[in-house]
Amino acid sequence: MGSAKLEGQVQMEWRWIIAVYLFLAGVGGGAYLAGVIADFFGGPDWMLVSKIGVFLGMPCVLIGCMFLLVDLGNPVKAWRVWMKPGTSWMARGTIIIVVFMIFAAIHTAWWIWPFPGPLAENESARHFIGIIGAVFAFLTVVYTGLLLGYNQPIALWNTALLPVLFFVSAISTGIMAVMFFGLGLGVGESQLALLAKIDAITMVFELFVLIVFLYNAYRTIESRFSAKRILVGPVASYLWLGVIVCGLVIPFCLELWGGHGIAVTIAALLGLFGGLCLRYTVLAGGTIGAIEAAGFEFARIDRPKDPMPAMGKVPPA
Amino acid sequence: MARYGMVIDLKRCYGCYSCVMACKLANHTPPGVFWSRVLRGEMGEYPNSVRQALPVLCNQCEEPDCLKVCPTGATYQTEDKIVRIDKNKCIGCKYCMMACPYGARYTVHEWKSYFPEGLPLSDYEKYSKQAWEEKSGVGVSTKCDFCIDRRAEGKECACVQACPAKARVFGDLDDPESEISYLIKTKRGFVLRPEMGTEPKVYYLPPR
Repeated sequence: MGSAKLEGQVQMEWRWIIAVYLFLAGVGGGAYLAGVIADFFGGPDWMLVSKIGVFLGMPCVLIGCMFLLVDLGNPVKAWRVWMKPGTSWMARGTIIIVVFMIFAAIHTAWWIWPFPGPLAENESARHFIGIIGAVFAFLTVVYTGLLLGYNQPIALWNTALLPVLFFVSAISTGIMAVMFFGLGLGVGESQLALLAKIDAITMVFELFVLIVFLYNAYRTIESRFSAKRILVGPVASYLWLGVIVCGLVIPFCLELWGGHGIAVTIAALLGLFGGLCLRYTVLAGGTIGAIEAAGFEFARIDRPKDPMPAMGKVPPA
Repeated sequence: MARYGMVIDLKRCYGCYSCVMACKLANHTPPGVFWSRVLRGEMGEYPNSVRQALPVLCNQCEEPDCLKVCPTGATYQTEDKIVRIDKNKCIGCKYCMMACPYGARYTVHEWKSYFPEGLPLSDYEKYSKQAWEEKSGVGVSTKCDFCIDRRAEGKECACVQACPAKARVFGDLDDPESEISYLIKTKRGFVLRPEMGTEPKVYYLPPR
């Protein structure tokens, strides 16, 4: 038999555009969840935080959907995307994000903007919509992990840890988005401090899940090539600089010891950038494993992007 | 109904790429699109090494993952279990390209000529472009369909016809008397990536 599977073919289909969508869906869903939780468990002091979180939900996901449309080969027919929810996570996901956007929009329109509506007084109705919205916000965040995980040949994604990783990152980046906007809109110092503490704890969890995810990827023979690409290969700078340093370590230190104001702003922005890098790392690390036949390993599934780069131009006369 | 499949004898295949070129001619695939490909593998170290060619194409799986992940229902199975794509339904999300264990699917975002940009298209290229856009389309997923049009005209699949070593045999897997069933049964036929559970219908015979 050949040696362990050392190489695979890098997936080139889903790159930055999809990473931005995954990131924005995470931020929107996470911020909405944070807003609903603040509305449930916080007192009147937390009203502004809650409003910011709920308000961020719909626009973030909507902008993310624009990126999805741009990535389609045939965007004119995009409405067909929910035709087969029976087996396809993409169809299910489309339904999920549309329902989420509808509920988030109702929640926003009747409570926050353009003027305080019926939900401002009627707390139980607001909580009712909040619960339904939160369920779909959760699904919006988690389905992306299942969407990628359904791809069997890409062993890096084909794990139950991916939805967990996306969920923890979404909560973390969602809270960061709320903090970032909350600072400009005048959220109280004590609320910001508590948000920063919760966010710091979430980031510890995120680092833990990330380590387990990568360890699992390395120990699984099919995804070892992917893990190497992420840990030491071409994607490594996104992981170490983007996700670990910018996305986790610096915001964690700033949130624990940096205090308020400018430190929170920097922490939030770096953390959001880290969330984007995490999505890109996962996408760009995805490789389709080598084909084995009769003891041979056919590592390179040749699919050249630009087979003849030299032939792209007219030769000089 | 028939259940069509293919057998590729790795003992006969010597990696001449005739099937790749025949497929390109028959299906007018633009640059970078290889519905039929040949992979090269090497086992052992010099001087005790062996090389092997592995022709691959769409495996026309019984339980295709590409069909399951397709959100629009553009991918479908014909009555004789050949996986096809309805170009009018495909939105080009490229989900199927990642779900396919064999890398058999291709999407081109614009039709390109094989010749340098800026040169006028020859008549053949114009015909080729038209044929590609009519049958497969731009911005949508495309793949091998066991030469469904050629077979309707009574011809063989282009790769089967072109193979100089007669390494490829096309036939009905449901017919126990067919050559392909006989070969799979008697020559230890196997499939690629059975662990994916997609039940592929392209069988290989061992190289030795």
